[in-house]
Amino acid sequence: MQNTEHMNADAKNEPKVRVGETALLLLIACIIGGVANYVSTGVGAAEALPGMAILYACSVIGLILARFVPFYLPSVGWVSLIAIAITIPGVPGSEWVVEQVGKINFLALATPALAYGGLALSAKEFAIARTSGWKIVIIAICVMLGTYLGSAVIADLTLRVLG
Amino acid sequence: MPKSGVFGPGQLALHGLVLAIVIIAEIIGIIRIPIGIAAIVLLPMLYAFAAGIVLNPNITRITSSVLTPNVQKFAGTMITIAITPFVAKFGTTVGPQIEAIIDAGPALILQEIGNLGTVLIAFPIAVYVLRMGRETVGAVYSIDREPNLALVAEKYGLDSPEGAGVMGVYATGTLIGTFVFAVIPVLIHALGLFDIRALAMSCGVGSGSMLAACTGALVTAEPENKDLILGLAGASNVLTYATGLYVGMFLALPLTQWLFRKARPDLY
Repeated sequence: MQNTEHMNADAKNEPKVRVGETALLLLIACIIGGVANYVSTGVGAAEALPGMAILYACSVIGLILARFVPFYLPSVGWVSLIAIAITIPGVPGSEWVVEQVGKINFLALATPALAYGGLALSAKEFAIARTSGWKIVIIAICVMLGTYLGSAVIADLTLRVLG
Repeated sequence: MPKSGVFGPGQLALHGLVLAIVIIAEIIGIIRIPIGIAAIVLLPMLYAFAAGIVLNPNITRITSSVLTPNVQKFAGTMITIAITPFVAKFGTTVGPQIEAIIDAGPALILQEIGNLGTVLIAFPIAVYVLRMGRETVGAVYSIDREPNLALVAEKYGLDSPEGAGVMGVYATGTLIGTFVFAVIPVLIHALGLFDIRALAMSCGVGSGSMLAACTGALVTAEPENKDLILGLAGASNVLTYATGLYVGMFLALPLTQWLFRKARPDLY
């Protein structure tokens, strides 16, 4: 199922990631993300560098942990946990980290991934979307609406009850 | 390194093309389209995705000499890599909000079960309105991102009716998910019924791009709560990484299957 390999985490594919190669490709992604950030916010390379370097380091360390830690958590899970840990108030240096990554716009970092995403769509994915037809499109929208709304309703009720 | 073929001319051309798309998308910037009480927010990532589709070699011939199937497959790898710094950035919004997140802890955990809301809404429509067959089970049991896809593949095989259902929603979600998640939250927000924290943490239910679109839209609607929105959405997304597969495996998929057998015993 080659076209399911791309996008987020896949337990079976992830251990094959070659760390050195991925680290280089991550650098390319960070550079493109940095350009996106410059165009959207006007924050130049020198000013954005510490923040981008921090995000880069979190990403690489997360990939390495996902590869070598014996239980399964996708690399994005590790990356998140590291990024959370270094920004919790009271952790040494956390204020500086928050200040530096604050110069990076989160939306700008998502733009490159979606450009790759549009270009990566395979003939098979277009074919599936086409042959599944309008019923699947309606169901897909219901699924997304239902998942979002279900979460929001339960979250909202819980917040009301517990404050 | 050259033998792995990830730094060839086609790959470099891909990065160049992505860079050009990204620059143009960011120059256009965020556009707000007011519709009555709400405003639909168009984000640069949406233009970037649309531009990628327009330039996709399966759509246009212009790029097909450069973007060979191999380069396209590599582009698939690059999605995972390019989203990682975004995920890291999102994590850094969680730490500073840790107190607000712990305060909202029970809601954050319980809303994972709210993901079953897809069964409530999509299941009856699939079975009773659209009269769909066994593909219903794969289609409606979850938001059908990668871990959910892997689960159905393992249990039924992707060539089964259930597999066709999960693949259909997966492919459709890949094509329109970003747009849907830019629109739904602002419409629900405009109802004024929900705590902004609830809407924010529900942004974490799907893929990275859905998270980005959803939070981007909410932040544009309530810029004064930016840090809180990002922190809660990020925390919820991390929780989904950890629990999503298990909720699907032990709760959502068995439940959907049971419901379907009750509703359409003729198909078994």
